[in-house]
Amino acid sequence: MTTNYMQNTLIPLQDASDEALIQKYMDGHKEAFDVLYHRHLPKVYKRVRYVVPENDVEDVTQEIFIAALKSLSSFRGDAKFGTWLRTLTNHKVAEFYRRRTRKQEPRLAPLSDAMATVTGGTSKSMEERIFLQRALYDLPENYREVLLLRFAEDLQFNEIAELTNQNLEATKSLFRRAVTALRTHLEK
Amino acid sequence: MNQKNESIEKDNELADIADRVLKGRMESSASTSDEDLLSLERTLLRLTDAFPPEPFDEARSKQMLVRLKARMRREEEELAAKPSFWKRLFDFQANPQVGLLVAVAAIVVLAIVTLPSVQPPGSAVSGTAFSGSSIFTAVGLIAVLLVFYWMSRRK
Repeated sequence: MTTNYMQNTLIPLQDASDEALIQKYMDGHKEAFDVLYHRHLPKVYKRVRYVVPENDVEDVTQEIFIAALKSLSSFRGDAKFGTWLRTLTNHKVAEFYRRRTRKQEPRLAPLSDAMATVTGGTSKSMEERIFLQRALYDLPENYREVLLLRFAEDLQFNEIAELTNQNLEATKSLFRRAVTALRTHLEK
Repeated sequence: MNQKNESIEKDNELADIADRVLKGRMESSASTSDEDLLSLERTLLRLTDAFPPEPFDEARSKQMLVRLKARMRREEEELAAKPSFWKRLFDFQANPQVGLLVAVAAIVVLAIVTLPSVQPPGSAVSGTAFSGSSIFTAVGLIAVLLVFYWMSRRK
């Protein structure tokens, strides 16, 4: 396999920072996007998997990367690329639910999804997953975010604190309130 | 003060439980005697059970990239094949309403142009009796167009 190198610096593309890859892509080296894609796909996919029905996870994930690619030129580097992509993911998930709400009554959708999807589990476990997805999606944004950062992205509490500009104590407190709210939603 | 300490203690304890749950060191709930924490722990276990770790290997990532590129190519082709906004707007077969609007606008403009300008009272009015009949003609034409439009919609 050939290794692509950053021009002038001889850094392999795989080792380059996100920002350097974006610059490289803007300079016309399309393969830089492939590296960005492989680097961020697992996290984006896992995050989407927690809030979107199984059948639509890949589709929504691809839409996120298409949108990222289209607006890469507007990325100014004020925030990290990962943070920017996370915001884009949240927008695309919200858009998915808006589209869905226009098409059908959202509360009825999960059961039909559970029946339609049989891959990767029994319909009962799929139903449970969809029930949890809906409960997660119905949580206030800051609660959902802390749960997704810990569970979907597997970030440690100190990393979440750093990312959200909070201290560790406040982050753990937010996490407990989020789990309590989730429990309340599941008990409904 | 005590209540605050107790709350912080609970936050830390739940954070530790979450860490253990995510590391897969906890199969069933029973790590605490606190009823509330025990119930929250069950919620966390429910969450991890519903979303078991899914392996994401390189092959899968590559397959998804291939599908992404194919999809983007398809979208670009569709976009290129799509006629421009103005072409679509003036495609009177696809948009009979626009055709009708253009025809009505043309008739109205024609009627206005052929009307004599307003004269001050007492001044001599020059021109023919054409102005009165042109309004009737315009209204008649608009009516005929509307009938045609209505008939085409019924087909």
